Amino acid sequence: MINTSSEITSESTCDTAQLISNDEASTSNCAQLNNTDTQDSDEDIQGSHGVRRRHPIQKIEPGSMNILSAKYESLDYDTCENHLLLDEERKRGYAFVVWKDMARWFIVLLIGIITALIAFTIDICIEEFSNIKYAQLKKSVDKYVMLDKLYIPYLLWVLTNISIVFFGSVLVAYVEPVAGGSGIPQVKCYLNGVKVPRVVRIKTLIVKAVGVISAVVGGLAGGKEGPMIHCGSVVAAGISQGKSTTFNKDFKIFQYFREDHEKRDFVSGGAAAGVSAAFGAPIGGVLFSLEEGTSFWNQALTWRTFFGTVVSTFTLNFALSAYHGHPGDLSYPGLLNLGKMEPFPFQIYELPVFIIFGMIGGILGALWNHINYKLAVFRNRYVGEPWLRVVEACLVAAVSATCGFLMMFLLNDCRPLGEDPTKVPLQLFCADGEYNTMAAIWFQTPEASVRSFLHDPLGSYKPVSLLIFVISYFLLSTWTFGLAVSSGLFIPNLLTGAAWGRLFAIWMQYAFPSMSINPAKYALIGAAAQLGGVVRMTISLTVIIIETTGQISNALPIIVTLVVAKWTGDFFNEGIYDILIQLAGVPLLAWEPPPLAHNIYASEVMSHPVFTLRTVENVGHIVEMLKVVSYNGFPVVDPPLADENEITTYKRLRGMILRSQLIVLIQNKIYNENANTTWSNLQVDMDMFRKEYPRYPSIEQLDISDWELTCTIDLRPFMNPSPFMLPHRASLPRLFRLFRALGLRHLPIVNDVNEVVGMVTRKDIARYRVWRHRGHMGMEELFLSSEI
Amino acid sequence: MLKLKLVVVFLSSLINLLYADLRYDFIKVHPYLNYGEEVYPKECFAILNSFSDSASNFTFCSLINARPIRFCENCVQHYVTFHDKFKELQTTVVNGTSCGSIFMSQDRLNVIQQYHDSMLSVWTKGNCNDCFEWSNKTATIRNSTTKFFKLFNATMDCILTNMDSDKHIVCEKCMQIYVQLDEFYKTLSKDKIGVDCVCMDIVDSMNTTRSIWSKTLNCCNLRRTPEVVFLLCTALIAFLPILFYLTVRFCGPIKDLPNVLKQSRFKQSILRTINSRRSS
Repeated sequence: MINTSSEITSESTCDTAQLISNDEASTSNCAQLNNTDTQDSDEDIQGSHGVRRRHPIQKIEPGSMNILSAKYESLDYDTCENHLLLDEERKRGYAFVVWKDMARWFIVLLIGIITALIAFTIDICIEEFSNIKYAQLKKSVDKYVMLDKLYIPYLLWVLTNISIVFFGSVLVAYVEPVAGGSGIPQVKCYLNGVKVPRVVRIKTLIVKAVGVISAVVGGLAGGKEGPMIHCGSVVAAGISQGKSTTFNKDFKIFQYFREDHEKRDFVSGGAAAGVSAAFGAPIGGVLFSLEEGTSFWNQALTWRTFFGTVVSTFTLNFALSAYHGHPGDLSYPGLLNLGKMEPFPFQIYELPVFIIFGMIGGILGALWNHINYKLAVFRNRYVGEPWLRVVEACLVAAVSATCGFLMMFLLNDCRPLGEDPTKVPLQLFCADGEYNTMAAIWFQTPEASVRSFLHDPLGSYKPVSLLIFVISYFLLSTWTFGLAVSSGLFIPNLLTGAAWGRLFAIWMQYAFPSMSINPAKYALIGAAAQLGGVVRMTISLTVIIIETTGQISNALPIIVTLVVAKWTGDFFNEGIYDILIQLAGVPLLAWEPPPLAHNIYASEVMSHPVFTLRTVENVGHIVEMLKVVSYNGFPVVDPPLADENEITTYKRLRGMILRSQLIVLIQNKIYNENANTTWSNLQVDMDMFRKEYPRYPSIEQLDISDWELTCTIDLRPFMNPSPFMLPHRASLPRLFRLFRALGLRHLPIVNDVNEVVGMVTRKDIARYRVWRHRGHMGMEELFLSSEI
Repeated sequence: MLKLKLVVVFLSSLINLLYADLRYDFIKVHPYLNYGEEVYPKECFAILNSFSDSASNFTFCSLINARPIRFCENCVQHYVTFHDKFKELQTTVVNGTSCGSIFMSQDRLNVIQQYHDSMLSVWTKGNCNDCFEWSNKTATIRNSTTKFFKLFNATMDCILTNMDSDKHIVCEKCMQIYVQLDEFYKTLSKDKIGVDCVCMDIVDSMNTTRSIWSKTLNCCNLRRTPEVVFLLCTALIAFLPILFYLTVRFCGPIKDLPNVLKQSRFKQSILRTINSRRSS
């Protein structure tokens, strides 16, 4: 016990952290360690080495993106090579390696199939419910338009929307808030190595699936593609573990995959399978996982992921074809089906036109992101209560219906029946034998509307209607994204973009009557530009669009458009996912370390007083430390020599042990004192640790009696004897690369004689962030907060 | 010698064979030299003749009845003959080969098949078969078709007889019969548009009627009142979110801004130690 000593001890230069110190100590979220009564005068005056750092503040202004939340923990991707692992390897041999490899393939197969089946269910539900809803509404409109009582169908529409959205919104707001939105930011964080609480649970999956059905059927400007990616991830995380903690059911299979590293690999495959099912784009799915997520990527994983995505798209195709009455036809590869596009020939002089489209898309996307960011900040600050969020979602549903109905009512844009493919031709005020084009757009799911904009002939829509549609749908979609419903932003943005692309095509036709303008081409380019300007994805989005339209020859125009859209958008702000991630304060690590940062050394990056454990440690001390600090990894050090109490500075590193391991040890009472009695019969192996994964009990939940506190634990067989470590003179880029490439969670910093002087975690590195906007660039050091 | 003789016999037989082949080809290339004999059977030519006749009749009829479309109704007899003759041409077998295989798929132009297909496609595109009841290869006009045209004629008569008077009067007088026609038309197909299965005669007649009715006569003036209630409702609902946001902005409990967490760094803890030393 270290705090039994007198005043001298606490004032000593002993730089191993004290448990109950009289000054504040740490980056933890423990309140008692965070008393702020110490003087600020000597701190934080300037950041290290010219890094931009604001004057020390106590409060964080709302909407600040320069904050990291202290709540997020990292995932453990580093294998703990302790004695138990060695034992296991020795026992199982090569047969086990082969078996494990086959199990991986089998799981990937299952992930593909189940993801596709979920996509199938969602798709069918949306289609069927929408058909019923719009058919009833049409009937009602047809009936009451003659009686001059249009408010009846209108109110009916509003009420239907509200009640359906209410259901989904209550689920999201009360049952599982993490299922809100598209889920792509959360999956991105997870794949980056951040543990987002509850993101891959079965409950989230159910809420997500039901929520997305209700959002789309409820007429919100949202899509089902983003949620599909999240669903795929959850499926992957669930299946690969062979157990469900929610249902308290352990199938006793795949125990060897119960660790963060294996699970992460499967989740990246699941996300890819989700993309594949959503867009019918197997290669796009693989590239999505690569681009948006995984920091750790290898050939075998790519190959397996590709297999999973192909299985997923095939299964979905098969199921949907069978459902639509021609089994074996295989013409429904994805949820989003943009329809077969003819390969559009483009001339060399059209490339500048595509560049202009890209720029418009970038500017509109940046505007979309900015509005959504402002809304998110407002919602975060004022619309916090679950019931307020439900009310907000219902109001948006009502306004969506209002918008649609007003457009049908005011814009009398009529087209003769039978020339264009329309599912629900609503006559409204049109002449007999004609239908209202706006009604045709609004009385179908947004996805079908995208198809209409892409494929209908040039004269199908009046420019005025298109312009009004673009403006209102642009605003509606940015208002909708971020509500307490689960819906994505792909479809609304594709729809907005396709609409303005078609609008420009019409204008071009007016300007150059001699040329024959292909509206499908410009609608597609517009859709790509708008979506690219919002999400700022490049490789995967290009491939996804190519695969959805089934035309490889369209690649160049799409790439040019997307690259220009991304560059234009990046000039103003970040992509929407990054904005949301930064608002949430997630310590995400970028692809590359900050440039010009070689003069920042580990000694500045690290957290300084380190809580260490001795190789043979007293249980009472462990318990007390686990209760007081929130750290998850503790260096195990040599015990100090007894007489060095005052002058000892640091202790020599022997290994690393995790909080979860300590908890399992205490839970199973693996003490030295009862080695021959209690746990002599107990099987002490890796499965003991895997059994509790991923939800370990907290130290408060453990039942520890008094006699145990005096016992001791020998940590050596359980700790990781050779953790990655760096000397204190290592530079920030070096730290960063080690962290990013290996997916580390803790990195002890040692001095010249291998003594622990500090500890670097993900948050310590993520606080150095590069920003680049409006032609400027720089690095800033972020603050931490435990309250966001 | 024997050898030589054998070779000569062999060569002559070979030449004979070649000659026979050449003669056959010659006839094939110049059918008029050997008209109808052994290569092209007479029966087949007779069928081809009558098929060509029926095709020209059918084509003539279709073109004559193109606008307004009455082509299904008026040309159905020609269509039936045309169809039957083609079948006959295909199925008749003379000396073990069918006439079809003699005339068709012999060259890349394939004239007979091409003409047949293009004429047939016009017929099928117009869903013409749907106007008729087909029993034993003879077409009788369907009851629904007859009924439709009865209604159609009645509507047209009504409009024509009242054409001279004021438009409102036409609308009023013919409304009942027109609505009846419209309703009946809608029952004919599943999608209520008539694209999927209704025969083109009917679709076109209906389109013309509707166009006359709602465009020339301007009878279907649905927008009569400004729908004040509806507009009020939309205004109210559009106003609700603004109200909502203002309320939560100014009336709701305001969350405290998050605090910044102190970070523990090497430099700070050194400074702190020095400070506490100094103070003590």
